[in-house]
Amino acid sequence: MKKSLLPDRERYACADMRQSPQKRATRNILLLFALCSLFSSTVFAQNRITGDVFSSSGEALIGVSVLVKGTNTGTQTDVNGKFAINVAPGSTLVFSYVGFLTKEVAVKNLTTIRVDLQSSGATDLKEVVVTGYGSQKKESITSAISSTTSKELDRVHGAATVSRALAGKLPGITFKASDGRPGSSAAISIRGLGSPLFVIDGVQSDEGQFNNISPNDVESIAILKDGSAAIYGVRAANGVVVVTTKKGTGESRVTADAYIGLQNFYRFPNALNDSYEYAMFRNEAAFNANPAATLPYSATELDKFKTQADRDHRSFDWHKFIVDDNANRPQNFVNLNIQGGNDKVNYYVSASSIYQESTLGKEYQFQRQNLQSNITTKLATGLSVGLILNGRIEARDNPGVPNEDDYDQARYALLRNSPLERPYANDNPDYLNDIGHNNSNYAYLQNKWAGHRKDTWRIITPTFKVNYDIPGIKGLTLSGLYNYYFADNLMDNFEWTFKTYTYNPTADTYTWTGGSQNPYRQRKNNKVFNTTQQIQLAYANTFGKHTINAFLVNERYTIKNLNVTLHSVPISNNLPLFYFPTMDQYDDAESNQARIGYALRFQYNFANKYYAEFLGRRDQSYLFAPGYRTGYFPGGSVGWRITEEPWVKNLLGEKRILNDLKLRASYGITGDDRKPDGSLITPAFSYLPGYNYGTGQGIAVLDGNAIIVARDKGLASPVISWSKSLQSDIGFDFTMFDSHLSGVADYFYRKRTGLLANRTDIVIPSELGYVPSQENLNSDARFGGEFSLNYNNRIGEVSYNIGGNISYTRGETLFNFNPQFANSLDEYRNSTTNRYQNIQFGYLVEGQFTSQDQINNYKVNIDGRGNSTMLPGDLIYKDVNNDGKIDVADQRPIGFTNGTPIVNFGFTIGASYKNFTFNADFSGASGYGYYQTNEAQVPFTNNGNLNVIFRDRWHRENTSDPNAPWIPGKYPAIRYNTAANASGDSNFKFNQNSFYGHDVFYIRARTIELSYTLPQAVLSFAKIKKARFYVNGYNLISFDNLKSLNIDPEATDSNGQQVPQTKVVNLGVNLVF
Amino acid sequence: MKKKIFFTTLAVCLMGAGSCKKDSDFLNAVVPIGIIDSQIEFNDPALTLAAIGRLYNAEVDFSGLDNNWSSFTDFGESFASENGHATQGRTTWSYDSWANWDYTYIRELNLFLERIAGSTGLTAADKARFAAEARFLRAAQYFELAKRMGGVPIITKSIVYESGPVSAVQFPRNKESEVYDFVLSECDAIKDILPKLPATKSRATAGAALAMATRAALYAGSIAKYGVNTPTVTLSGDVVGIPAAMATGYYTKALASAQLLIGGTYGSYKLYQTALPAADNYAAVFTDKSSTNNEVIYIEDFKAFAGKVHGFTTNDQPYSNGEEIDDAGRLNPTLNLVQAFEKLDGTLAPFATRDITGAPAYYDTPQDIFAGRDARLAGTVLIPGAIWKSAANDIWAGYWTPNANPANLTFEQGTITTSDVASNLKPLPGTTIPVQVVGKDGPINGLQFHTQTGFYIRKWLDPNVGTGRRGQGSDIPFIRYRYSEVLLNAAEAAAELNQFPVASDYINQVRARAGLTVPLVLNSANYFDRIVHERRVELCFEGLNLFDYKRWRIATQVWDGQNETVTDLTTNLLSATHRNTKQWGLWPYKVYSPGNAATNGKWIFKEVVPAPNTGVLLFRLGNYYSQISDAILGSNPKLLRQPNQ
Repeated sequence: MKKSLLPDRERYACADMRQSPQKRATRNILLLFALCSLFSSTVFAQNRITGDVFSSSGEALIGVSVLVKGTNTGTQTDVNGKFAINVAPGSTLVFSYVGFLTKEVAVKNLTTIRVDLQSSGATDLKEVVVTGYGSQKKESITSAISSTTSKELDRVHGAATVSRALAGKLPGITFKASDGRPGSSAAISIRGLGSPLFVIDGVQSDEGQFNNISPNDVESIAILKDGSAAIYGVRAANGVVVVTTKKGTGESRVTADAYIGLQNFYRFPNALNDSYEYAMFRNEAAFNANPAATLPYSATELDKFKTQADRDHRSFDWHKFIVDDNANRPQNFVNLNIQGGNDKVNYYVSASSIYQESTLGKEYQFQRQNLQSNITTKLATGLSVGLILNGRIEARDNPGVPNEDDYDQARYALLRNSPLERPYANDNPDYLNDIGHNNSNYAYLQNKWAGHRKDTWRIITPTFKVNYDIPGIKGLTLSGLYNYYFADNLMDNFEWTFKTYTYNPTADTYTWTGGSQNPYRQRKNNKVFNTTQQIQLAYANTFGKHTINAFLVNERYTIKNLNVTLHSVPISNNLPLFYFPTMDQYDDAESNQARIGYALRFQYNFANKYYAEFLGRRDQSYLFAPGYRTGYFPGGSVGWRITEEPWVKNLLGEKRILNDLKLRASYGITGDDRKPDGSLITPAFSYLPGYNYGTGQGIAVLDGNAIIVARDKGLASPVISWSKSLQSDIGFDFTMFDSHLSGVADYFYRKRTGLLANRTDIVIPSELGYVPSQENLNSDARFGGEFSLNYNNRIGEVSYNIGGNISYTRGETLFNFNPQFANSLDEYRNSTTNRYQNIQFGYLVEGQFTSQDQINNYKVNIDGRGNSTMLPGDLIYKDVNNDGKIDVADQRPIGFTNGTPIVNFGFTIGASYKNFTFNADFSGASGYGYYQTNEAQVPFTNNGNLNVIFRDRWHRENTSDPNAPWIPGKYPAIRYNTAANASGDSNFKFNQNSFYGHDVFYIRARTIELSYTLPQAVLSFAKIKKARFYVNGYNLISFDNLKSLNIDPEATDSNGQQVPQTKVVNLGVNLVF
Repeated sequence: MKKKIFFTTLAVCLMGAGSCKKDSDFLNAVVPIGIIDSQIEFNDPALTLAAIGRLYNAEVDFSGLDNNWSSFTDFGESFASENGHATQGRTTWSYDSWANWDYTYIRELNLFLERIAGSTGLTAADKARFAAEARFLRAAQYFELAKRMGGVPIITKSIVYESGPVSAVQFPRNKESEVYDFVLSECDAIKDILPKLPATKSRATAGAALAMATRAALYAGSIAKYGVNTPTVTLSGDVVGIPAAMATGYYTKALASAQLLIGGTYGSYKLYQTALPAADNYAAVFTDKSSTNNEVIYIEDFKAFAGKVHGFTTNDQPYSNGEEIDDAGRLNPTLNLVQAFEKLDGTLAPFATRDITGAPAYYDTPQDIFAGRDARLAGTVLIPGAIWKSAANDIWAGYWTPNANPANLTFEQGTITTSDVASNLKPLPGTTIPVQVVGKDGPINGLQFHTQTGFYIRKWLDPNVGTGRRGQGSDIPFIRYRYSEVLLNAAEAAAELNQFPVASDYINQVRARAGLTVPLVLNSANYFDRIVHERRVELCFEGLNLFDYKRWRIATQVWDGQNETVTDLTTNLLSATHRNTKQWGLWPYKVYSPGNAATNGKWIFKEVVPAPNTGVLLFRLGNYYSQISDAILGSNPKLLRQPNQ
């Protein structure tokens, strides 16, 4: 029995009665044991039974709950999977363990038994899921809640953040991992609703916290997808992710888990690496643009490039320099934990450390150390206290490159630098070469030249809990929680001055010809202090066939945020501190928040057959004017387990084809004080008039003095309140074929009302000079569904499981308050009312020109210049309105935007044979767009190198003969630093068109892992309780439709130049002592 | 049991330490930080200064050193050396270019005036000065609106619509002349309240009010006079356009206001004249922040290491002598402007790049071709070889090697040796040793942040070390009004009133300071071209050029959408309507002709249009008044749509 996952009432009820096995050291417990035995034995005759519990793969299972059916008597297996218990003859033992099917074994006359538990996938209906403010058995859940446990999560070693471990695991999770830098996380949302609320060990938290728990410390994750989230009220409109950390059960043991891995680029656009080819393409581009112009490279020079004749005509391979030379960047992870539990104390103390280097270079680093300490102790009967301590240090280190994102230049360099450019003058690594755009000289991007940027979070969050079973009323519990969150973020950035050189081969000298004289020293210090207070009164009891489960909770939160930003212009690279005379910025900021919530839930079930639940919450927020602060968020659900009906049981008979079928429906109202984009719905204190004073308002220099200015805030917005989400869900859960097959299906519809908009029925003239207060007026909707199936079974000694899920979600704008359009084109193009969201407008490409004649005779003016700039291969835009020219009126929907995927899916397959286990997880998505722009659309973007995709282009047979015939290719004829079909008016962009747009589909192997567990015989010899070795690969393969572009299918940057995802191979070990 | 209950109660109480507060008190404990009640704001002189500081900061400049370097590069006077910049391939301007309808600012000004009137905590003198400053800023904003939009509704108090017919708060556009009249009457009213202190430049003074009045009156006068040239640029009720009969009145007002200022009773202003050489003296007008600079009347000020600096120097400094990697050289003056600087005898001539046979003209140094010109050329533009921060810039486009050795070869009969970037060395024809073949500062066709015209800007560029760094910035002030412009305003107004000797005197003061020693004699035949020309060279890159061409109604001729050939470029230079539609550069080449001692090592020049300059400028009739957006029109049915759009 995993105690922590049981409702508290069971936990403490059985703790008293439990009979402890060997190795219990505490005198008190022995005494208790003696007393209990004495007491029991005076009533019943008892047989002592010992046994072993194994998983189907032969692994001894630790901490399995062994309960005598129909009683509260029970024990747990020890670290070798052994147990001992005294039972009356003829009893039945119930073995249950998280992640495994519960098994009942009749004792008969046996004295020793061996039990093999079957892995459940996610089918175990007795499994307890931690949901909002409590926990429930799976069979009783009547809302759309998906959950996963450490057993599933532990399969993904090599993901630094928890979000990355979730890919494809749960139905209804929209997942996109667009950025692959060290320590990066994936963007997850629930049903595509937006950024969810994260609750960690009962405390409302945020995405950064969620992602930086050590994945090893997570016991379970439950996702509240529907109206059940209403229990969290105001911030739960986009669903809730409830995370529980490990609490420690079973025999004391030490676990060590470690892996080392090698990381490589998964995929990135590639550019030319041969000087001859580069020169040829440059000439071709120049010739295409103007056949009369002098070409950049003469025939003599081309010959020299071809033969790499001399130092000025050699090739330099930047891809090798930046990517290949950085191949196999290491990562490593170590976790050490001690855990155990008895009826007095449960403890889990864990320390983890992860280190990752970037595939962009060894000086781009991420490291994190986590400490998790969960201790619960029972002070007396019915009274327990606990301390959860979570702390971490999270550091990101890299060279101090200009621009906010320091990974930019390194990957930009891959496409910017031509094979004619070399990183070092005369290839001498002491001298950076002056290549004229020195920021993207990758050689410069090192700590020793560029300076250093270090961004560190230090966080400690103690949570104190107390739980008291009020005597006299069975099942009534009072509990409290206090959490203090302290975070300190220190960003230290020092960008150095540096010099670049030009080498003169005649004189053998290096001349300083460029570089930066800009020393840039910046520090940001952000401190966050949050508190959470929770008081809860819970009641749970069963009267015959009636079961009641209810609670009332009060919560209060405060958030305090202090921010200081400093900047100076140091006089030397050798002075790392700040000195006042060189400082030119000191910005100080503070913000505070406070919220109060009252929530209640009442659940009733009759004979585990009919379920009904009512929940509600009253929330108040500091954000709104007094009078608009309070919101009520009710919800409810019903469920019916058809298979518990006698007539269904009769119908099914003993065949057990259908083991369980539950129909359920839920409805709930949640609130949101954020806009759809995640920012606060209104700035703090927007309901107050007055003047804003502070550095953010700007500085005026009057009479030589710098003066912080104050600005009138404008009209106050006193009537703004929450937007509301009204979510309905219907679904069913089933298990079949002796519970080998299980499945879940859901349909949902969320209507969101009260989105902010201006009341446009009375239009205030602009000349009055104020913006009227917005009001909660507009609405939108999101709907979809998900379906998942899991099957597990065994054939001989091979047990296997296979499962999959798919989800679909779409958004639609329902209502815009009195929208204003200038004309019908404006309305067609820009109206959103009653339309799907995430639709990309653009030009329809009908084909490509095949000859100059065709261009000359073409009636539609495509480029705005009578097609004078067009060449064969250029795109033919459809003149939708037949007005003879191409403009914004010809734009039509051409696909999805590059946003949240509409379809997400995943599947997992696993098998074990004797001591070997194999697991593979796949996930994929579709229903979003990718549009080639910049380097993926414009040859030689920014005078840079040529993306190799343009090799396949329309070109003349002889690229410098104007009369040569054209040879077709995929892309239009190349021009230098100009896109084909670029109109003369630079305000008029053609890049959103159906030729460069793609509806993305991908499926990728997230993890493939093979592990081996040492057999018991070896272990006992080595005095180790458990040893498991594994090798796994992360992101090894994908099937997608962007491969030909060398673009990662999850990239969100339109030029595909995000730090690409990595593929990783890890080697790991898991030891229990 | 007692212990347990005690413990639980204690624990729960501790956790709920804040719970003892009422819910409302708990939420109300979050108090605003940095939000000041207007009662407090206006009874504290320091906070009132903070409020007027915001209003000063919000003053609109068409070109400003902090609003965007690119506003200086439009209109043919310079070229933007930044890839993909909108002006590089510009064909025309959209109708909403330069539009401004910032009534939020006007509301803020009106609120300030209303609140200062109700203040009890300030001295009467403070109240009077603050109020006059707000009126000055409000007049400046209405002037800005008139320049861009024509007649606009004049709103002088804060209004909040509450109920009733919304038409009661819909105001029609006033006549264009009424807006100018409002500006002029406000200037009149406040000039005796504001301090008469030339040393005060960053706050409104009597001098600034007079300078604004003279400029506004001159604009109104020229719109009245020259509106006949563009008869379609009008709207009914004179909402756009000013009746011709009003011209004389405005010119008279412009001259009178200027003469009040020149007379010195509102503060002693004079042209900046130091012992520096004339070119450096002119450049120092814009960089000298000391009290000796009494040419400057009204500025937007900046202050280094105090949080208010701008990036003009960073953006526009010469590439190789710049202080910031890959962030330089964006603003390249064009040959069009450079050749508009007169020869010292007061005549205009193109640069001699060819002799009469068509062969290149040879020069010993790259500066020689620019010799003997108006000192303001070197004060405004960094020509090839000019010194910047103690190093000479390196501007040359390559080597030119004649294909044979007879004399009189044309430029085309030679071979160019150049490269993508100066550090990419190449051997010269007939040699094998690679050498530098192009200037470190350009020009290299299409290479951004290097000059592409052969010139860099000098005006406004900060000569102090460190000011070109992105992390530091420059605190050179932006001059909104200076004495030299007042003289030119006076000269123009006087000439329009047929007072040619007066006009000649004023214009010659400005020219003499620039080293042009032959006095100009204005007369009815030459004054218009001469005044247009003088303003072009004296006031270039000060944000005035567009509005001058608009008020004279010659913008449609100067930027007429026709290609500007070399012939167009180099002939008829004095004409006010000289075409200016392409951005030309003048590229120096080093002659490499080892067999010919007479030319080897000398310099030749070629007129070049930078490759990214693909457009031809077209100013349409609908550009004279910027578009009032559909959203604004939709919010007030009483507004008239602009003409020709």
